Amino acid sequence: MSLLTVSNLTKRYRRGGKVVTAVDDVSFHIEPGETLALAGPSGSGKSTIAGLVLRLIEPDAGRIEFEGDDFLALRGAKLRARRARLQMVFQDPLAAFNPRATVARVLDDPLRIHGIASRAERPRRIAALLERVGLAADLAPRAIHEISGGQRQRVAIARAIATGPSLIVLDEAVSALDVSVRGQILDLLLDLQSQERIAYLFISHDLGVVRALARRVILLDAGRIAESGDARAVIDAPQSAIGRALVAAAPRLKRTTQDAS
Amino acid sequence: MSALASIHDLTVTYRRDGNAVAALRNISLDIVAGERLAVIGESGSGKSTLALAIAGLLPASSAVDGRIEWPGPGQPPLLGRDIGFVFQDPSVSLDPVMTVGKQIAEVARTHLGLTWSQAYAKAKTLLERVRLPDPDSALHAFPHQLSGGQKQRVAIAAAIAAGPKLLIADEATSALDTIVQAEIVALIRRLVAEDGMTLLFISHDIALATELAERIAVFRHGQLVELGTTARIVGAPAQAYTRTLLDAHIGLDAAPLLNRSGLHA
Repeated sequence: MSLLTVSNLTKRYRRGGKVVTAVDDVSFHIEPGETLALAGPSGSGKSTIAGLVLRLIEPDAGRIEFEGDDFLALRGAKLRARRARLQMVFQDPLAAFNPRATVARVLDDPLRIHGIASRAERPRRIAALLERVGLAADLAPRAIHEISGGQRQRVAIARAIATGPSLIVLDEAVSALDVSVRGQILDLLLDLQSQERIAYLFISHDLGVVRALARRVILLDAGRIAESGDARAVIDAPQSAIGRALVAAAPRLKRTTQDAS
Repeated sequence: MSALASIHDLTVTYRRDGNAVAALRNISLDIVAGERLAVIGESGSGKSTLALAIAGLLPASSAVDGRIEWPGPGQPPLLGRDIGFVFQDPSVSLDPVMTVGKQIAEVARTHLGLTWSQAYAKAKTLLERVRLPDPDSALHAFPHQLSGGQKQRVAIAAAIAAGPKLLIADEATSALDTIVQAEIVALIRRLVAEDGMTLLFISHDIALATELAERIAVFRHGQLVELGTTARIVGAPAQAYTRTLLDAHIGLDAAPLLNRSGLHA
């Protein structure tokens, strides 16, 4: 059984009197412990799909099955309990966190809200989470705005794994990081995946990272699936127009200077 | 090869919470007239401070040591006339309540002494040069009516309106998706060639820099790590840090990070 099955998902927005279909009849599935990537240009619907899967946005049509349940039908306590299994990491953790919070507070919230650890137990759990993502426990009292961007994204990952999720939506989660930090965060994500068997819905505009990280990829164009399949096969030989355009546009290290043309 | 600008021992210090923070330390380099020079580095490397210093845009509170010389004939360069500057976010650099045509025409009128009607004609020509669809109606459009890529084309048109010698692009494509980024890079390359401009291309993306620049300067923690031709920087980097940046690039030919066989065990 798939971990997540999305069927015929559709979301329309009204913008200046016009109806824009941001996500148009999209279906896909994610298996336990695998990474599925969503890639596409701006406005192709990547982040809207993330919001729909997380139920931050309600769809106009379609069905989402998560861990065997009709996720869109869950309400109240059942929905809250299931949310612990479905977590998220966004591009900019500074925007995602309360800017006045400390690192400890950011990690204390999910442990408390989901009733995972008692008050007395939580400091120890927070220290363990920090250690799990490669941070020192003495970072806990620091303000979230004081630490570096790479440290903040590690805290965001610690917050996401605090509730024991089976799926994490990573929406451009490494896009704003310096390249030297990005590699470390990708290593951490892979390590967590192999240890805890967490599946990732990895949303990125960067085909190089997608190809290196994901098993399968879906290429989106204007809210529709243009192409999908094995990540390396799709990116090495794209069949769709958008796939070819994305591959052609990806920056490549050039060893020789080209003449201006 | 004559220098358009010679930077000698440039140190820039910002004041932050009462502390002095050195953003650039003892930088010396020449920008060769007519070259495409990329300045690359990570957050806090000082690459944007260098761009601002060259353009004369440093905040008044910053302390500057060293000097920037402009060996060519004539007056020191004037921003807008002799130096065009394209920023990362055109939504911020364009005036949201002024039409696109007027923003471009204003540059031409101010620096070239044109009348408004001449300046508007020039603006229309520039919108054609940056390949904005339907330049006639774009003249009367406001920035919010354009896409991110179209806005950046307008910002480039305004930057080159007075025919500058030097075009500075500071992360000018970083907020755009890869397809639009490639289009804007091609546009900058074409405009620089057609007008014989010198290009200073500031970027965090070493691969993008290699696609556009003839020489690359690598910055880290406010210092110049190394400077060389693109072929030399990519093929034979002298510094370990440059090698780190090259190795960190995950291209379309990178080895998979994923151990596929272990996944469904």
